Amino acid sequence: MADPASTSAGIGTLMALLLFIAASVWLGTVAQRVVEKGSFLKGYFLGNRGLGAWALALTATVQSGGTFMGFPSYVYTSGWIVALWISAYMVVPISGFGVLGKRFAQLSRRTGAITVPDLLRARFASPATGLMASLLIMFFMTFMMVAQFKAGALVMKISWPGSGALALVEDAHGGNDRFYYLGLAIFSLTVVGYTLIGGFLAAVWTDLFQSVMMFVGVMILLPLTLMAAGGLAASSEKLRYEVTVKAISKDERAAHLPGRAAAEERLRELDAVLRRSAERTSAERTSAERTSAERTSAERTSAERTSAERTSAERTSAERQTAPPPSTKQLLLASKAESASSWFDPITGKPLQLFGYEAPLDIPGSVQRRLLVLTPPDDAGWQSALYSNGRVRSGLFSRPGELNSGPGPFDWQPLGLAFSFFFVWVFSGMGSPSGMVRIMACKDTRTIRRSIFLLACYNMCIYLPLIVICICGRTLLPDLAVSDEIIPRLALLGTEGIWGGSFIAGLILAAPFGAVMATVSSYLVVIASGLVHDVYQRFINPNASERTVRRLSHAMMIVMGTVAVAANLYPPLFLQALVVFSGTCGATTFVAPALMVAFWRRATAAGTMAAMGVGVATTVSLYAVGWMTTHSFKPYEPCGLHPVVWGLAISHLAGIVVSLCTSPPPAPLVSKLFDAPPGNA
Amino acid sequence: MTPPREDPVLHGARREALVVLAVWLTAMAYTVGYCYAFGYGRDPETLAFVFGFPDWVFWGIVTPWTICTLFSAWFAFAFMTDDDLGAEQAEESLTVEEPPHG
Repeated sequence: MADPASTSAGIGTLMALLLFIAASVWLGTVAQRVVEKGSFLKGYFLGNRGLGAWALALTATVQSGGTFMGFPSYVYTSGWIVALWISAYMVVPISGFGVLGKRFAQLSRRTGAITVPDLLRARFASPATGLMASLLIMFFMTFMMVAQFKAGALVMKISWPGSGALALVEDAHGGNDRFYYLGLAIFSLTVVGYTLIGGFLAAVWTDLFQSVMMFVGVMILLPLTLMAAGGLAASSEKLRYEVTVKAISKDERAAHLPGRAAAEERLRELDAVLRRSAERTSAERTSAERTSAERTSAERTSAERTSAERTSAERTSAERQTAPPPSTKQLLLASKAESASSWFDPITGKPLQLFGYEAPLDIPGSVQRRLLVLTPPDDAGWQSALYSNGRVRSGLFSRPGELNSGPGPFDWQPLGLAFSFFFVWVFSGMGSPSGMVRIMACKDTRTIRRSIFLLACYNMCIYLPLIVICICGRTLLPDLAVSDEIIPRLALLGTEGIWGGSFIAGLILAAPFGAVMATVSSYLVVIASGLVHDVYQRFINPNASERTVRRLSHAMMIVMGTVAVAANLYPPLFLQALVVFSGTCGATTFVAPALMVAFWRRATAAGTMAAMGVGVATTVSLYAVGWMTTHSFKPYEPCGLHPVVWGLAISHLAGIVVSLCTSPPPAPLVSKLFDAPPGNA
Repeated sequence: MTPPREDPVLHGARREALVVLAVWLTAMAYTVGYCYAFGYGRDPETLAFVFGFPDWVFWGIVTPWTICTLFSAWFAFAFMTDDDLGAEQAEESLTVEEPPHG
């Protein structure tokens, strides 16, 4: 278990990745054949409005690869509170499709819109509104896409046999070695290639494919992990007092660690005492059992002896297995004679905190363990811990039990943020331009209805099991240095010794790769459509021939791919934070305008532009303030509320106020989009 | 002059959006409220497990999630109406269609 030699994925992973790539390219070519049927623009950028329920449900609001990679790591390090963080996904299916779905599908048909900016432009007869939306979309989608290229390259890199890594290590160097560059090259060629061939439909189909693979992966991993961990209840119990250690810089470590030597020595001493006590107890018990077994067999006649001995021996060994080994508490009581006084921390002089009295010690060096003893924090907050497997470690610990309660280790999710993430997930699903386009591309309202149900089932079957898997993973592999490795490691651990295990592990490992590919390709389509349709065709050359548009679309995708590759030669950090940032930008920029477009007759072009501008400005400036004050990619959160809440509030307010202050939109235009068509009266 | 009739799709969509808004607010208030009341600052000694989930996770997250999923089924199959989305308008085409190759 956790053999250092197995830190790198096997050949099965590489095969699974190649399968993903082959399937994606194949889907791209199939998509191309479908696209060729109608007009280039509607086919290439909108799939001829033919999306069915599965394609819509599993691709429009499912978050990017970053979520699938970041989320398990959060559960691993912060415990059950992450369930609250993600819990807003319970309403994402109805909010994502039930609010804007019908109206967007209808309005885009009535106006012939192909992109979200198209729709805004047509709704207000205002080219400026469309252009502004287009530029904003391109602005933050480009950032996101660049970050996703790094994720793709890294997944490719860790799947390479012998690369020695298993997950995204987001350190300053980003792990850019030859494997990284090779991964980047393969990833970029694949994703730009198939997106270029098949356009929108290729992006949607590969997205659907990877969503299904992700589901399969989670469904395989769930029973494997539960079996390995002995069930969820056993894992939860083991984590009752578990602590998380804060990541600490090398300098801090060098400054504080030497001072902990005395405390650590004290804990090792205690461990030795406990183990001596355990040995003595078990020796006493064995000898008592032997005596009783001998007595029993001596009473038998010689004719019966052979069989009786066997029965007795079986019984004794069975007893030895079923009789519980002494608990920590019993050991402590038994060792009382050895330690004259109770146990104190030599640094602070305060008594040690003891946990998990009921459970026994584990074999020294075994991977699984529970927290046994914690020293009180010293002046710098440092503590030392003794685990049931004899391991001693020092650092900045969370309070015991915080993996099982709010706000989680190190104040992970204060109340304000718990509320905020009900806004983040719900509205970033609703406000994502790539999601809106997919709704515009759906076939009919029946598709929307079925999508709601499908996505509801899918979310429940992905996120809840993933939490369970990672909680069990925390007890199975408690000492991962890189928490992002939790899913790959569990996949390798769980499939050990199963026929085709390496390939199954590969499929699970490849799921994030698929997720990243799908995200990138959908962004490529949105950005290319923005550049070609919303900018070039609208403002530069309205009379472009279809062939020009086609060539330009392909060229733009290649350019975007090249830009992303160039940016990734020095890879960006903060992948997961970028996912939340981009989702927040989407929500604060587009939710208010979208609601105004769909439901408010009085909305004006100026009001919509104000809503977009103020929304994005709020988000960006809160992030900028956060960057300046903390020097990390963390937003400033007034009143403990995430920027998404402020951005949404201010954006709605600006939209309403500016709309009311400007003259109403022309009545015929509003009537065309809000009243029943004349023939239908 | 009678005002033109409101588009039925808009009417239905607004009704559905208001229900979604109510569900979102209820889910948020219940889930965050319950978890805050029973899960925040919880003493690990008193923690009980339901099917292996800490009690506050089970009652505060797993249960409402299940209810929301069931609600989504009702919403999708019983509440939300099917509407005609209208015919595709002639594309606001900016491209000049090329003549078929002859």
